[in-house]
Formats: sequence, C-alpha cells, structure tokens
Amino acid sequence: MAIFRWGTSFDPFAGLRYLQREMERLRWPWFVENRRIGGGAYPPVNVYESDDEILVQCEVAGVDAKDLDVNITGETLNIKGVKQPLPDEEKLSFIRRERGSGEFTRTIVLPDEVQADKIEASLSDGIMTVRLPKAAAAETKRIEVKPTA
Amino acid sequence: MAENTPAKVTRSAGEREMAEGTFSPLADVYEDESEIVLVADVPGVTSDGVNIEVDRGVLTIEGRAAFDVPPEKYTRTYVGFEPGTYFRAFALSDEIDREKITASVADGVLTVHMPKAPSARTRKIEVKTK
Repeated sequence: MAIFRWGTSFDPFAGLRYLQREMERLRWPWFVENRRIGGGAYPPVNVYESDDEILVQCEVAGVDAKDLDVNITGETLNIKGVKQPLPDEEKLSFIRRERGSGEFTRTIVLPDEVQADKIEASLSDGIMTVRLPKAAAAETKRIEVKPTA
Repeated sequence: MAENTPAKVTRSAGEREMAEGTFSPLADVYEDESEIVLVADVPGVTSDGVNIEVDRGVLTIEGRAAFDVPPEKYTRTYVGFEPGTYFRAFALSDEIDREKITASVADGVLTVHMPKAPSARTRKIEVKTK
C-alpha cells in the first residue's frame, strides 16, 4: 500500500484513504451510513482464529449452497458465488431495488497454514461458516533444549 | 439520514432505526396486479426471530440476526459484520389489505406479501344498458 502508483489514477493518498475507510468501519458506534448493509466489499466476512482452527463466517443471504464455490490454494481462501435474481425478474415492476444479484468473489488471505483436506463449510439462514483446521506446521511446538554432556 | 426516511414514518420508527446495533436491511419492493411484495436480505434471521407489525399505516420489519459468535478462545482477526437487529419501516399505501399480509423467511431472505384490497385492484366496469 505504501508504493505510489504513477498512472492515470495517481493518488498519493490512496493508502491513507484505505486506512481511513477501515478506521471508519471499526469505529463504535458506527455512523448511520456505515451501519447500512451494502457498503464495503461483498460478501462481508468475519475471520476468527483459535490455537487449532480458523473460522470464517460469510453473509450470503439468498444464495443457494449449490451456487457457492469455495476454494483453497495454500493460505488463500477464495469464495465465489452467484446470487440469483428474483424469479422472472425482468417481468416485475419494481418500486424499490437495492438487493442486487449476480456473481461475486471474495479472497481471504488466511493468517496461518491449514489442512486443506479437512475444511468444512456449512450454510444456514444466509450465513456460511467455513471451519479450517490449522496445519500441524502452524502449531507452536515446544523444543526441549538439552545440555551437551 | 433524514432524506432516507420516508416522510410518513413516525418519529419513533426513525429512532428505532437509528438505535445502536441496528442494521437497515437492503430491500426490493415490486408490485403486480394483485399484490405488493417486499424482499429483504436478513442473513442470520430465522422464522421465529422475525417480527412484523403494521401500525397506523407503517409496516415495520424487525429481525434478530442470530448466528454463532465463536467463544472467547477465538481471536477476532477480521470483523465485517456483527450480530444485531435488522429494523426498517415502510409507509404502506391505503390499497393494501392489512389483514392479509403474510411473511416468510428462508435462507436469510425475508419475503412479505401484501395483497391489495379488492377495491383497489384494477377492475373492468361493465356498462349496462337498460
């Protein structure tokens, strides 16, 4: 983020702006605008971490489990999906339209190595939970120091 | 915020919308010949955690987002959303039959069907000749 990009969209404060947005997001109580769901990256994610597991939650209201595609490459978790439009959407006469539909993708760089074959994902009430057990390599091991005779 | 709140919505509904830990869900509203349908994204809400009321021409939808927050031993590495309450108020038009409003929640999406009163539907009036 600290590297300036000298291009057509030169913005020396891009890094600062990004930081400011993140700070606004974290400030409590949040501003009314920020509390309105729909701002920021979609879908919103939570990442939790314990000693032996990483837990990712993801808000995907109205998305079918079969339309979700979760991939892992090394320490990068990629969530892809399609939010289907309302049935016969083109025939409906809308008074208000905010939800939107279409493809989305979110990439999460995990804080640790995980066991790719033991990842479990479940979806209930529009929230997807991905459980990623940490790899043995990521666990802290105590190494005994032996005195030499 | 003032410009986002429908003019007819009562002050109390506006205050509840502003309350701490309350989120305003995104909604689609569409209409056909017989009804108006409201569709709102409320991830984490189950059918027993939702409360819909009609009071003095204002429809309020309220839902409790109940998802598992991991226990203490988990550190929060990144937080993009939190459990809380969804709340939003809509001014109803007079053509809605208030007694017949039905709602359902599935996969984090709330759907409210608001049938129009028969008197409000477009009706062909037959002209009788004597």
